[in-house]
Amino acid sequence: MTRDELRAYIAEHYDGRLKPLKTGKYDPLYEVAVDKIFEVAKALKEDDNLKFDFLCNLGGVDTGEHFEAVYNIASISNNLRLDFKVIMSYDQAEVESLQEIWPAINWYEREMWELYGINVKNHDNLTRFLLPDDWDQGHPMRKDWDAPDFKRKPEL
Amino acid sequence: MRELRTEEFIVNMGPQHPSTHGVCRLVLTMDGEKIVKIEPVIGYLHRAIEKVMENRTYSQCIPMMDRVEYVTSMSCEYVFSLATERIAEMEVPERAKYLRVIMLELNRIASHLLFYGVTAMDIGALTPFLYGMRERELIIDLFEMTCGQRLTYNYIRIGGVSKDIPKGFEQKCRSALKVIAEKMSDYEGLLNENPIWLKRTKGVGILPKELAIAYGVSGPNLRASGVQYDLRRNDPYCIYDKFDFDIPVRYNGDCFDRYILRLDEIKQSMRIIYQALDGLPEGDVKNKKVKLTFKPPAGETYTRIENSRGELGVYLISDGGKKPLRVKTRGASFNHVQILPHFSTNMLIADLVANFATLDIIMPEVDR
Repeated sequence: MTRDELRAYIAEHYDGRLKPLKTGKYDPLYEVAVDKIFEVAKALKEDDNLKFDFLCNLGGVDTGEHFEAVYNIASISNNLRLDFKVIMSYDQAEVESLQEIWPAINWYEREMWELYGINVKNHDNLTRFLLPDDWDQGHPMRKDWDAPDFKRKPEL
Repeated sequence: MRELRTEEFIVNMGPQHPSTHGVCRLVLTMDGEKIVKIEPVIGYLHRAIEKVMENRTYSQCIPMMDRVEYVTSMSCEYVFSLATERIAEMEVPERAKYLRVIMLELNRIASHLLFYGVTAMDIGALTPFLYGMRERELIIDLFEMTCGQRLTYNYIRIGGVSKDIPKGFEQKCRSALKVIAEKMSDYEGLLNENPIWLKRTKGVGILPKELAIAYGVSGPNLRASGVQYDLRRNDPYCIYDKFDFDIPVRYNGDCFDRYILRLDEIKQSMRIIYQALDGLPEGDVKNKKVKLTFKPPAGETYTRIENSRGELGVYLISDGGKKPLRVKTRGASFNHVQILPHFSTNMLIADLVANFATLDIIMPEVDR
């Protein structure tokens, strides 16, 4: 399946659940509603024509207006690539854990929780691992967080 | 005879253990010499590179990317440049593409030679370390002559490479490859039939295929478990589709397969470099439109390439400004450390060292 065929297949079979986004370059990018995330991810993995069995990456994003969680997945058996994201407001930053679907996501979710403060429901081990154990200065990857000794350089 | 019951105890392996390839701590729960439980503790090398990059312009990000994984810096620079080029839909001169392939593959060989040396040293054979480092030096010299740096190159830039290769590079590169090709039989002769080496690696630390895919294992470790998946073939980037090379696969998934597969890959990389040197076109090496204050249009992409450890990815978001909105780097070792507890329990502590070493984990790309 080429990228365009994949786009057409998704539009046909997942219409409404995966909403295409224009900002995605190269590989197809979709938006998923935050309460549908588990169901959609499970469907993408179990669909025999897609079989997204490989989790490449998960990253939290703070755009300055809201949070996003971006899932990058691939299929080894069908050689496909796809991205999808969920958009959350600051006061409702919570996603469901996808550990059952892709066990590899465990540490990525932990990282997102630690650096952005996005809560992950049903995660088995949400503990610090990148930051120091006694860290108490909030979530450093948020846009409104500046290190105490960090000075912004003048614009070029 | 009555079985002796012993108490479980906890051993800290690391953070300063020589075989942890960086600073990684493994908290081991031991029952005698058997490992009952492993808990990796990471974060000692966390330098907040992703946060720092959000406050840098695109061209300033490239030296930061170098430090994400300093053993194969070329691929780190390359994956960031490629992501930016995909967002900006930019053309790269043909000569620059060939030079990139040459540098990426040379870097892969250098990394695998380092792997060969340090893995053998971890398992207890000191001689291969000297051999591996000796030939790696030839490649590092080539990088030094091209861009002045031996480890963090800042050579591959957005839109091309920083400068053309110097006079005499091609000839020196060919002679270096010839030396390495000759020495390959020495490498194999030292270890491949060495009974101690075979005892330490054959059948040790078997990583099943399904477990590997579920935990996102990639690169040589995945191919040693019998999955023929190489991004240079499966998700081609740059000009890899022009070259003729094989993807080595092994099926046992044990330490020996992970080791031998990397030696096979060195040979394939050499094939690619010879083809790239033969086909190297004349022309520019940099897209002239890329200025210092380069601003790509708004967009986002996840770009992944195959580096010597596996899938190296960057999720890059541009909002149309001078600085990236978000750069998320994905290193293969992150998953390789994560999977360690899932297939390394119930083995001897000495085998864990072999297991850790042959996974070719490097800590800076785990902590970032």
